Amino acid sequence: MANYEVKAEVSGSVWKIVTEVGQALEAGDTLMIIESMKMEIPVIVEQGGTVQRFLVDESAAVNEGQAVAVLST
Amino acid sequence: MSINTYEARKAKALAMGGPEKLARRRAAGILNARERIDRLFDAGSFIESGLFGASLDDPDRSAGDGKIAGFGRIEGRDVAAVANDFTVMGASSAATNGRKIGHIKRVATSRGMPIVFLGESSGARMPDHMGSRGMGALLGNDPTQYVRRREVPWASATLGLSYGSSSWYSVLSDFNVIRKGAVLAVSSAQLASLAIKEKVDPEEMGGWQVHAEVTGFADAVAETDEEALDLIRTFLSYLPSHHRAAPPERAVPAGSGSGMADIARLLPEKRTQVYDVRRIIRAIVDADSFFELKARFGKVIGTGLARLGGRTVGILANNPLFRGGAMDTDSCEKATSFLVLCDSFNIPVVLLVDTPGFLIGIDAERKRAPGKIMNFMQALQLCTVPKISVILRKTYGQAYLNMGGGRNSDEVAAWPSAEVSFMDPTYAVKIVHGLSPGEAGFDEAFAQMNKDSEPWDIAAMYAVQSVIQPHETRDYLIRMLDVHRQRLTNGVGEHLMQAWPTSF
Repeated sequence: MANYEVKAEVSGSVWKIVTEVGQALEAGDTLMIIESMKMEIPVIVEQGGTVQRFLVDESAAVNEGQAVAVLST
Repeated sequence: MSINTYEARKAKALAMGGPEKLARRRAAGILNARERIDRLFDAGSFIESGLFGASLDDPDRSAGDGKIAGFGRIEGRDVAAVANDFTVMGASSAATNGRKIGHIKRVATSRGMPIVFLGESSGARMPDHMGSRGMGALLGNDPTQYVRRREVPWASATLGLSYGSSSWYSVLSDFNVIRKGAVLAVSSAQLASLAIKEKVDPEEMGGWQVHAEVTGFADAVAETDEEALDLIRTFLSYLPSHHRAAPPERAVPAGSGSGMADIARLLPEKRTQVYDVRRIIRAIVDADSFFELKARFGKVIGTGLARLGGRTVGILANNPLFRGGAMDTDSCEKATSFLVLCDSFNIPVVLLVDTPGFLIGIDAERKRAPGKIMNFMQALQLCTVPKISVILRKTYGQAYLNMGGGRNSDEVAAWPSAEVSFMDPTYAVKIVHGLSPGEAGFDEAFAQMNKDSEPWDIAAMYAVQSVIQPHETRDYLIRMLDVHRQRLTNGVGEHLMQAWPTSF
């Protein structure tokens, strides 16, 4: 099992976490939604995996490139 | 000279760097230079120029002098090519092969055919280039060597370790595909490690991911040599052979436009939700004709070649799936280079508009956002090919101009869902009325601004020429592109950016 971090590609605030710890995701699934530029911008996982933990809470401010969750493959 | 001497010399030239090196490549699943040429061109169409070229300093080891040159056909059209043969002295650049490249470029440019560069080279040949004698004799001596005037399309594949002039030709090209495992860089990781006194990983320095996602030098990524060569054939199928011709036409594939009835469903009803504009593009253009360029770079703008009614078009579209469609500096560079490509080769441009504006902030300014935005703007204004914009949803402020509003496209159409204003109503309510969401009066002010942003007023003023239903978009574009066909010049533009840089 290998862990990897999922990063936000845009600065903004975490609007809604739409997955749970332990949930299995496939490439292309939405992990959470960040509000930025008055848009709801999904954080999409580029490879599948299981959510191990979140590194941010809802409403938290995130920066571009910041890790927001850890997934395992 | 006996016939045997001729046959022996020919066989030696065709044997390239010898059976052991060729076997190693085969075992690794990598094509050799001649196999690449065979794959690139229509069967039996290649005629070589310079089979007996070699280095007079070491003729026995320098078959073809490491670069194979000649002419072939792709889908029946003539194309010139230079393929680096890494099995011969690492395909290093030297006197004879430099003459070959110069000849191929001169012939292709003067006779009007594309050039393909198959890159895999260790760089300049040592020790030939060393010392002032080497420099005086070899390097340069051709003041047009790296001039791009875009008279003919250039396409390139990076198919192995590619340093020096092999990399220069790739980044000078209109299209460059990099095969996974290949490296494109100024010089080798070994030399870089010596120069900066730290270990340099070749893949990290110039691998496919770097060029697909960070530098944007890769227009496409291929898993194999074969796929890379096929992508070059596909790319060239959209382009004319030279800048004084319109692109070739194709029959319209069956099933084209079949997704138009449902296209409105691809656009979310809620204005803050994102979607992938490429689904909309694929519904509009001829079936399976969307050929995306730089898919992993500057992703907030999608660019690609496609066909509408059998004719080549360039599609430049905001993609809200990434960063909500807010245009960053990478996407501005991507848009600029794409407009230069289209304008240089007489390809009309369709712009699909849905962007909250340019990504702003400290980082953007430090990345020279104003300069990038103006390069993009100037490229659009210098385009002399037909330009048609379709506003799908949001268009605000300067981004409205960059995406063709304000007479920067020849025609602007809007979907009824279009929102046209100077800025997003949410921000505008704060600035104009001093109100934030949740405060008394915000909702009323916001609703009024939203209503004012609907496309009807701008259509009434004829600053937007048409309001069309989403399902009418394909037919509208085909018809309007025909209206704007450049009859006076047989579809040829003025090419005002033909000598613009190939990267920014």
